[in-house]
Amino acid sequence: MSASKPKKSFKIEPFKHKVEMDPDYANNTWKVLEDAIHEIYNHNASGLSFEELYRSAYNMVLHKYGNKLYEGLTTTMTNQLQKVAGQIDAAQGDTFLEELNLKWLDHNKSLQMIRDILMYMDRTYVTNQNKVPVHELGLNLWRDAIVRNGRIRDRLLKTLLDLVHKERTGEVINRGLMRNVTKMFVDLGQTVYLEDFEKPFLDATADFYKAEAQQFISTSDCTDYLRKAEKRLNEEIERVAHYLDQKTESKLTTVVEREMIGNHMKLLVEMENSGLVSMLTNDKYEDLARMYNLFRRVPTGLQTVRDLMTSHLRETGKQLVTDPERQRDPVEFVQRLLDEKDKYDRLIAQSFGNDKTFQNALNSSFEFFINLNTRSPEFISLFVDDKLKKGLKGVSEEDVEGVLDKVMMLFRYLQEKDVFEKYYKQHLAKRLLSGRTVSDDAERSLIVKLKTECGYQFTSKLEGMFTDMKTSKDTMAAFQQKMVEEGNDSDISLQVQVLTTGSWPTQPGAKATLPPEILEQCDKFKNFYLSTHTGRRLSWQTNMGTADLRATFAHSRHELNVSTYQMCILLLFNNADALSYQEIQAATEIPVADLKRNLQSLACVKGRNVLRKEPVGKDVDEDDVFHFNDKFTNKLHKIKIGTVSAQKESEPEKQETRQKVEEDRKPQIEAAIVRIMKSRRLLDHNNIISEVTKQLQSRFLPNPAVIKKRIESLIEREFLERDKNDRRLYRYLA
Amino acid sequence: MGITKADTVKLISAEGFEFVIHKEAAMISNTLKNMLSSSGGFQETELGEVRFPEISTPILEKLCQFFYYKLRYTNSAAVKNVPEFKIEPEIAIELLMASNFLDC
Repeated sequence: MSASKPKKSFKIEPFKHKVEMDPDYANNTWKVLEDAIHEIYNHNASGLSFEELYRSAYNMVLHKYGNKLYEGLTTTMTNQLQKVAGQIDAAQGDTFLEELNLKWLDHNKSLQMIRDILMYMDRTYVTNQNKVPVHELGLNLWRDAIVRNGRIRDRLLKTLLDLVHKERTGEVINRGLMRNVTKMFVDLGQTVYLEDFEKPFLDATADFYKAEAQQFISTSDCTDYLRKAEKRLNEEIERVAHYLDQKTESKLTTVVEREMIGNHMKLLVEMENSGLVSMLTNDKYEDLARMYNLFRRVPTGLQTVRDLMTSHLRETGKQLVTDPERQRDPVEFVQRLLDEKDKYDRLIAQSFGNDKTFQNALNSSFEFFINLNTRSPEFISLFVDDKLKKGLKGVSEEDVEGVLDKVMMLFRYLQEKDVFEKYYKQHLAKRLLSGRTVSDDAERSLIVKLKTECGYQFTSKLEGMFTDMKTSKDTMAAFQQKMVEEGNDSDISLQVQVLTTGSWPTQPGAKATLPPEILEQCDKFKNFYLSTHTGRRLSWQTNMGTADLRATFAHSRHELNVSTYQMCILLLFNNADALSYQEIQAATEIPVADLKRNLQSLACVKGRNVLRKEPVGKDVDEDDVFHFNDKFTNKLHKIKIGTVSAQKESEPEKQETRQKVEEDRKPQIEAAIVRIMKSRRLLDHNNIISEVTKQLQSRFLPNPAVIKKRIESLIEREFLERDKNDRRLYRYLA
Repeated sequence: MGITKADTVKLISAEGFEFVIHKEAAMISNTLKNMLSSSGGFQETELGEVRFPEISTPILEKLCQFFYYKLRYTNSAAVKNVPEFKIEPEIAIELLMASNFLDC
């Protein structure tokens, strides 16, 4: 509306005029409003005209009496509220809070009406003069006159805290009333709520739970205690929802968590017979989940749980791997490890929400204790051997993969992966040569896994073994065809596997005298092979072969599946009924340990005793005499006479393998040193050690003393030299 | 659609002329809005009428027109050409004061 003359502020002119006309105007008008305010507080508004009151206030402000109006309102309201304070204070016992609430609701309603009729003042005078708006003024006056009234303040707080305490101890209280009163604090402003209510409330909460925690901890076990704590926590959260400000929740739970959990963490997890260890041992998923969820809430809570779990794991793991009883059966040993891993995997999934930090703790624990036993690599390989030989028969492909994956997981924990490789090679060789692998796919799958884990270098020899097997098959086919063509057919069917030196774990010098009829065949093959592959050298590994024999006994005929050594022994009995140990040894020249072992399996195993030993006994002695056991019977036609094969190594064998491994490591360490020095040129001792360790980590953990020796050897051979000025530095010599 | 009494409010000018308009329109004025929705039982809310001893009939009439004008054209994007609300210069000052009073 801009149709007026645009000169000076036209508003002012007419009103000046009016003021002069009525000097008593302000007092009279204020009287009307003051009366109205009293009427409003007395619930008597129905007789009042809004328009009249509004107009009165409007005119007062227009006539520059805004200040008088504002001051008048403040005074009137203050007086009114002082009267109210007296009424509230006079209320006895339980009615106190109700009275307070009632008056508060009253005040709110009145205040709203007052604000409505004084709206014009709010709009102009208050904004111009930067005064507190009517509504807020009313709240501030209430705060000062009632809530912070010397006689009401403490009583109010005590009443509220008493009610909360009552509810905590199981009584039912009027939550609606509580809600209204706490809402009043909130309405009066955050600071009022925080200082006049929340802070003392939290202090009281802390005291309450401090005492309760003390009492619980002396009377309950860990499970019970956590249950109670959880219940309490939920109750408090519910309490917030029912009658406290939402912002209080986090503070309140923090207090409860601190008092109930945080201050007693150690005591709780270490509780005898019910703490963390007992829960872990007894697969108490639910209790563990509860513990996890509660401890997660307090600082360092999870760390406490994790640390204890780790130390428990390490302790039990250490017992597991170092218990001599368990080491008797390698398969069982590894199975126990896998079971343990499964158990904790499940536990972390079910109770700890697959928490990464717990998984890491689990992994590091396994890595820690698996490597405590130097035989772990051997045992794991044996476990695989067992699985691939018989354990996986009739198992679906997926399950096979599952088992292999688990093995790989253990493998990952190994620090001495090269030791594993060594054993794995031996076991694989035995499996391949004796044709005892159940599944070619499974074998290859594992190789692929090893390859992805450790690289091409790690598996190249293993793959070479598979290639040899295949080539040999082709060679044999060609050989047999040639034999047939030449009419050289023989009773004896020879199967030769040509193994590349270096790929296979051959034992040099393991020789034996083969029976002449066999030898003849062997020579034929030798000629055949060398005629197509000139420049090669063949040597017979009699310790690794097998043979199928037909044997006739008094009551039955059998087909015997035996080792090459056993065949040599048995064929001697074609020409003799009884032979002494010495005679057998002289005729076959089998190494002592092997001979004893093979004789043992021929003569001392029930159901397989094709030979009879004198005197009878479990062990083979050098004075023993062996007879052909004519009375031998067995329900089966085909009989497999196993050597004591692929068992875990004896102590000297172990030492030997160990030594071989150490020997193999030397060039690897040297190669690593040279690689590093070639790029760095100049490096100090400690850095070389750490870099070498890092490079070789995926295969084994080199010993610093060994690295030092290798460095010395390289200096001797003039690959490196010590720096002339600083003796700690090494220099690469190109 | 019939109009019930509850939907309307009666505005009475200084000279006693009565204007019955929709509450919805009256609520354009913040003063009237407060008056009509105030929780307390004021006379006006109970009777459904408001007396303006200081607003003359022509001004009140103009105000009522303005309420409907504003109600019609506020927030309606559909209407492209909002017609001008004509104010005669001779009532301008008085109308301005009344609108200050009614906060509209």
